[in-house]
Amino acid sequence: MDIFGSFALVLALIAAAYAVGAGILAIRSRNPLLIKSARNAGMAVFFLVTMAVVSLEYLFFTNNFSMAYVAEHSNRDLPVFYKIAALWAGQEGSLLFWSWLLSIYAFLALFLNRHKHPELMPYVGVVLAAVQTFFLVLNNFVATPFQILGHASAGGAITVVSQADGHGLNPLLQYPEMVIHPPMLYLGYTGFTVPFAFAMAALLGHYPGEKWIHITRRWTMVAWAFQSVGILLGAHWAYAVLGWGGYWAWDPVENASFLPWITGTAFLHSVMMQEKRGMMKVWNIWLVFVTFMLCILGTLLTRSGVVSSVHAFAQSSIGTWFTCFLAFILVVCALAFWRNRDYLRSDNQLDSLVSRESSFLFNNLVLLAGCFAVLWGTLFPVISEWVEGTKISVGPPFFNKVTIPIALFLLFLTGVGPLLAWRNTSFDSLKRNFAWPMAGGLAAGIAALAFGFRQFYPLVCLILSVFVTLTIASEFWRGAGVIAVRSGVNRIAAMGQLTMRNTRRYGGYIVHFAIVVIFIGIMGSAFNQDVQQEMAVGSQMTIGGYTIVCQNFDEVDNPNYQSERATLEILRNGKSVMMLYPERRFYLASQVTETMVAVQSTPLRDLYVVYAGRSPETNRPVIHAYVNPLVKCIWFGGLILILGTVIALVPSQQPAMTFRPAPEPLASQPLPQSVGVAHGDD
Amino acid sequence: MTRRVIALLVLISALIGARVLVAQQDSRAKALSMRMMCVCGCKQILGVCNHVGCTYSHDMLKELDSRVGRSESDDLIIQDFVQEYGSAVILLPAAKGFNLWMWIMPVVVVVGGIVLVRTILVRWRRNAVVTQENVSSDLLERARREAGPDE
Repeated sequence: MDIFGSFALVLALIAAAYAVGAGILAIRSRNPLLIKSARNAGMAVFFLVTMAVVSLEYLFFTNNFSMAYVAEHSNRDLPVFYKIAALWAGQEGSLLFWSWLLSIYAFLALFLNRHKHPELMPYVGVVLAAVQTFFLVLNNFVATPFQILGHASAGGAITVVSQADGHGLNPLLQYPEMVIHPPMLYLGYTGFTVPFAFAMAALLGHYPGEKWIHITRRWTMVAWAFQSVGILLGAHWAYAVLGWGGYWAWDPVENASFLPWITGTAFLHSVMMQEKRGMMKVWNIWLVFVTFMLCILGTLLTRSGVVSSVHAFAQSSIGTWFTCFLAFILVVCALAFWRNRDYLRSDNQLDSLVSRESSFLFNNLVLLAGCFAVLWGTLFPVISEWVEGTKISVGPPFFNKVTIPIALFLLFLTGVGPLLAWRNTSFDSLKRNFAWPMAGGLAAGIAALAFGFRQFYPLVCLILSVFVTLTIASEFWRGAGVIAVRSGVNRIAAMGQLTMRNTRRYGGYIVHFAIVVIFIGIMGSAFNQDVQQEMAVGSQMTIGGYTIVCQNFDEVDNPNYQSERATLEILRNGKSVMMLYPERRFYLASQVTETMVAVQSTPLRDLYVVYAGRSPETNRPVIHAYVNPLVKCIWFGGLILILGTVIALVPSQQPAMTFRPAPEPLASQPLPQSVGVAHGDD
Repeated sequence: MTRRVIALLVLISALIGARVLVAQQDSRAKALSMRMMCVCGCKQILGVCNHVGCTYSHDMLKELDSRVGRSESDDLIIQDFVQEYGSAVILLPAAKGFNLWMWIMPVVVVVGGIVLVRTILVRWRRNAVVTQENVSSDLLERARREAGPDE
């Protein structure tokens, strides 16, 4: 099966390289047969890489410990669930997984558009195949997952060595979310290749108008949604597994996943300028280029060991390959742009400074400033060591200081932007749209101050969160009101209709609301409490209104691990609410010890308990307890974000033509900007 | 009676003072530990280092507690930690020398971005004015007629 997998990978590389070569020839010769042949080769890569992936999984499931990768990342007692996840546990497998996901995207892009955009698709095929070729070169020659354990004898014959058992999967990865988190994140990273390919194709092929934007909008949203879910799942994994009480530490690997998400978000906003007004063509092309380059940079940071990270599970000298690839992409993008810049000339006109256009410009500025701040802070230790020769660390204090004001300004724009009209917004309209939300936000701030809420940033965050929520609610309310009057349904049903008539706009609003909910969750971290204490059976500790009573300490044995476990009774207001069992596990195969956190989660707060080991002095168990307010909002916000994105991806429905005449007094009400649904989405 | 009241007030203020002092020491040590990195190689923040078998964080945290207990200033503690464990121990390098660029660059980018956006907006606005001037009133009227009434 290993030979089968290796052959499949070699054939995939040949097919991808052929798709590049034949694609370039086809573009030059306009030969339809060659175009079809290149496309088919591009699609064949998917089947071949799938064969390689299936082969590797087969080797995991059959416990073939003569394979280096299987022996390194699996063992006989590893649960089946994690044998699937072992595929991306190490360098070689995760690169193969990357190639596979990329091949799925490429296949879908080529297959779904096989009868469309004949001028554009050959270029798209070449770009996709070129990126695939790079990864397949790595899979075949630099980090092959099908390496056999063995040694060469004096006569040149290879003696295969099979181990009795493997080293097992990294215990940090033995967690259900780790089965979902990497695929989501990788689907985000690889997904941005498709908009990149279309943007490059449009530029090289001088594809007319804004068509490439229309084609790639959904692809970008899908990649962005996967990236969002991947980031949130990673944060949840860090929270639930790493046992330090938090979910985001501004670690370089976390930052690496965040960077393309930021530029992707900027792109999803700025494309509307090009669609609606034909503006910002250069900007949009470069946003797509930069997003793709940041995906590659993220991979470089994760794998090269250039920056220190607690999350880097697979480090090697492979960084040189990614550095060269990144430089190559940069040169290609710059050359393509320079040679075809005339194609990107746009008719940029602004009717008023108070308009949706300027709000989008500021939105993009703020997002990119945030992106730069995160990138700069991530790379600064490397730059500093290079310039000064001394190693420094840049951590949460820097990132929090720089990014919190930027994030809050962005939150403000989230409320302001959608309520400004395209071209021009009158003062009356501003007053009508903003008065109540602004008053609501300020009222919430005053109420919070009255209740002793004194911290500056959380207070600003609260005011802005209420403001943005009210602006979104008012948009739904007024739009639904008009539909309710015209079609005679109640407002709730009208809200559903309104959303489905312009899914992009109202799905976008739901995503904005999700961001508000996530901000509220992050704001809660300003009020975190923690306490650490040695505990004996019968002793207790108190934190944030909870009393934790130690009932027992015991040991649990399992074929995969041994664990020390505390049994803790949780009391709130003197009443027992639940039992928690924080553990410290020793994984037998990998000989690694890890903590297993126990959490009592409510919508308002989490009680997060860690068995921190035994005190070196007294050998008594130490329990570290945290009360983290509002953390659940972050995960709940993630669910809302998925809902909003799915709605935005669904095509808008045309309104039914049976309208009931509106009563006279209401007919004179001004229509909200959002009701102009007949003209498509914005 | 007056003496008793005074004694009671002194006791209460001493207790409050002691509690505040203890609270300050705890929160100061905690805040300082969140500004430092564990140096064992686990790449975790000192205050949250839960790396099993870590031979550094326990001693570093104890040292931090005892120094805070001796009311040493934050700067002094940080300086001594840097001397003992190297500059990589602090998560927020001092804003001096080359490290000043760490703070300057984000500000430069934001300010530069604002200037750039302003320039772009002004140019776009000028384009719009020029275009409007180039369109004759007859043509504008015809366009309005053909476009129909505003929605």
